[in-house]
Amino acid sequence: MGTIVAPAVRVGRGTTRAAWIGAAVVGLLVAVALSVVVGANPMAPGTVLDTVLGGGTAESRFVVWDQRIPRTAAGLVVGAALGVAGALMQAFTRNPLADPGILGVNAGAAFVVAVGITFFGVTSPLGHVWLACAGALVLTVAAYAIGSAGGQAAGPVRLTVTGVAIGAVFAGLTTGLTLTHPDAFDRMRGWSAGSLLERGFDVVLPVLPLVLVGLALALGAASGLNSIALGSDVARSQGVSVRRIQLVVLAAVTLLAGSATAVAGPLVFVGLVVPHLVRWTLGTDQRHIVLGSMLLGPVLVLLSDVLGRIAVLPSEMPVGVVTAFAGAPVLIALVRRRTVTAL
Amino acid sequence: MRLPLSPHRSRRFLAALALPVVVAFAVTGCTATTSPSAGASDTPSTADAGTHLVEHARGETEVPNTVQRVVVLEPVQLDTTVALGVIPVGAAVLNEAAGVPAYLGDAAAGIATVGTVPEPSIEKIAALKPDLILGTESRHSALYDQLSSIAPTVFMASQTDPWTDNVALVARALGDEAGADRLLAEYDDRCAEIAETYDTSGMTAQFVRPRDGILTLYGPTSFAGSTLECAGLTIPDRDWEESISVDISPERVLEAQADLVLVSATDVTDDTLVPDSIRTNTASFPGLNVVDQSFWITGVGPLGGMTVLDDIDRILAGSK
Repeated sequence: MGTIVAPAVRVGRGTTRAAWIGAAVVGLLVAVALSVVVGANPMAPGTVLDTVLGGGTAESRFVVWDQRIPRTAAGLVVGAALGVAGALMQAFTRNPLADPGILGVNAGAAFVVAVGITFFGVTSPLGHVWLACAGALVLTVAAYAIGSAGGQAAGPVRLTVTGVAIGAVFAGLTTGLTLTHPDAFDRMRGWSAGSLLERGFDVVLPVLPLVLVGLALALGAASGLNSIALGSDVARSQGVSVRRIQLVVLAAVTLLAGSATAVAGPLVFVGLVVPHLVRWTLGTDQRHIVLGSMLLGPVLVLLSDVLGRIAVLPSEMPVGVVTAFAGAPVLIALVRRRTVTAL
Repeated sequence: MRLPLSPHRSRRFLAALALPVVVAFAVTGCTATTSPSAGASDTPSTADAGTHLVEHARGETEVPNTVQRVVVLEPVQLDTTVALGVIPVGAAVLNEAAGVPAYLGDAAAGIATVGTVPEPSIEKIAALKPDLILGTESRHSALYDQLSSIAPTVFMASQTDPWTDNVALVARALGDEAGADRLLAEYDDRCAEIAETYDTSGMTAQFVRPRDGILTLYGPTSFAGSTLECAGLTIPDRDWEESISVDISPERVLEAQADLVLVSATDVTDDTLVPDSIRTNTASFPGLNVVDQSFWITGVGPLGGMTVLDDIDRILAGSK
């Protein structure tokens, strides 16, 4: 975490920023602890601690080691990926309502998963992961190709419009498929609501390299995005290639949103709300926003997941439903602030 | 739960009393609008141009005594009509690609599909020119007026009602209550046979449907649950929340324990369809069996019931 705090420690404003980042780190640790301690099968914190340290009963070992710890890991990866993907999309499109889904990434992933389930009988979560990644990739490339048709550079507006259009088409196709194949609908229900249930290491580890590459690309593109925010001309005069930054951002968003969607299904609101919260506290430097979103994304996902586990006992509510519930009030509060934090 | 046979018998008794009266009306030239259903089943070979009044979830409907072209929108209606020998011309199915469930046999294989159970196609139904449509108020309420302009339409209240009640309603619509009584008696006899052969009293059983991590436990009022209890097995006590089933988190998987645990799957040969939570706790589930959901869940009706009982027989024979 030292590397995160280091650039923020300057005078005045920098100290506040360091405090916020410290708070985010503490929040993340609390969220991880809650995610291991709280669940649909109530167990005393002492039992959980005992189990984590290698003791416990067969049942507590199953609950902690086979259920809660893997889904906590999934929540960390998914939250960080979605938070950063959202931050990149908002900076890239200069649209405060942009989220990772705006390029059609979620719609593409969902469609390919639906096709896999319906026509190829794919049933394993790992199968869903690869289908979703492939779908996200194909849709982003398609959106970029169509957006830059006619030899023009695919600007943010063209890309957004193309992404939304293609996304709508594929969302419609997916709905058509699932309505005519209720079996597939049944199997996609949990996935399309966004869930961390039984998302074990077997699905998290395969996408982890993709997420790490995506996060590295995001950090690399952050200072370029700062320059672009001053206008394309200024960026060029600072030696920043707008086209190259665009491609890096698109690659990062596809990797991050595609992986997150592959693991948990389309989780709404995380990519939208987290960057707003971060800008509110850390200011408008994209490097800080990317780092802050990386910390705050998992906090939102894990806390929502914990709520979902105890909301409808003895069952569970998918985390995607909770993020929508939890995300909306935060967004409304942000919008009602006198000055919407500038992009 | 035992089958409610007595109401049928008393109704038939009343119908028998009413028959001469109806005949008298017919002879004197009055239109017999309320020919009792039992009359039709007593003389099935005679083409009966009359109708009988069926009371159902949407009121009362005159249904022809001899129907030739029935369209059914609910699995229990499909199963019951086939069991009573009236092969529907069209059926709404759960999966259009899979079509009519295979357990219904060759006679049912040629039934045309008319969309899915939640979304039947009015156009396809109309094209079949049915003379009777059977549907479900809780699912197809909005379609009732359109359907009844195509053909006399009888709705059962809900697919979550005890399934034998819905079998009885289908039988009344077809005017073959005697046939339904016979089918349900055969089902009961088969239950008793299994209970006796394997001495199932005191054995517990739990039917589980896995859905994306969540486990749905089916209770005594569900089709699968009532069939297990009919065969003498006991479903472990829990709060069923006045529902046919209760969803539980995989963290609580041990609540699904029983002497016999039946997990539904679309493909019984695919072990990966058994949820992780059960597979990682195999020591707690010694009596685990994967069963075919095409009849354990969607096979609601007398034929599906017999198929499930055959499956229970097979499983118990293997575990002895």
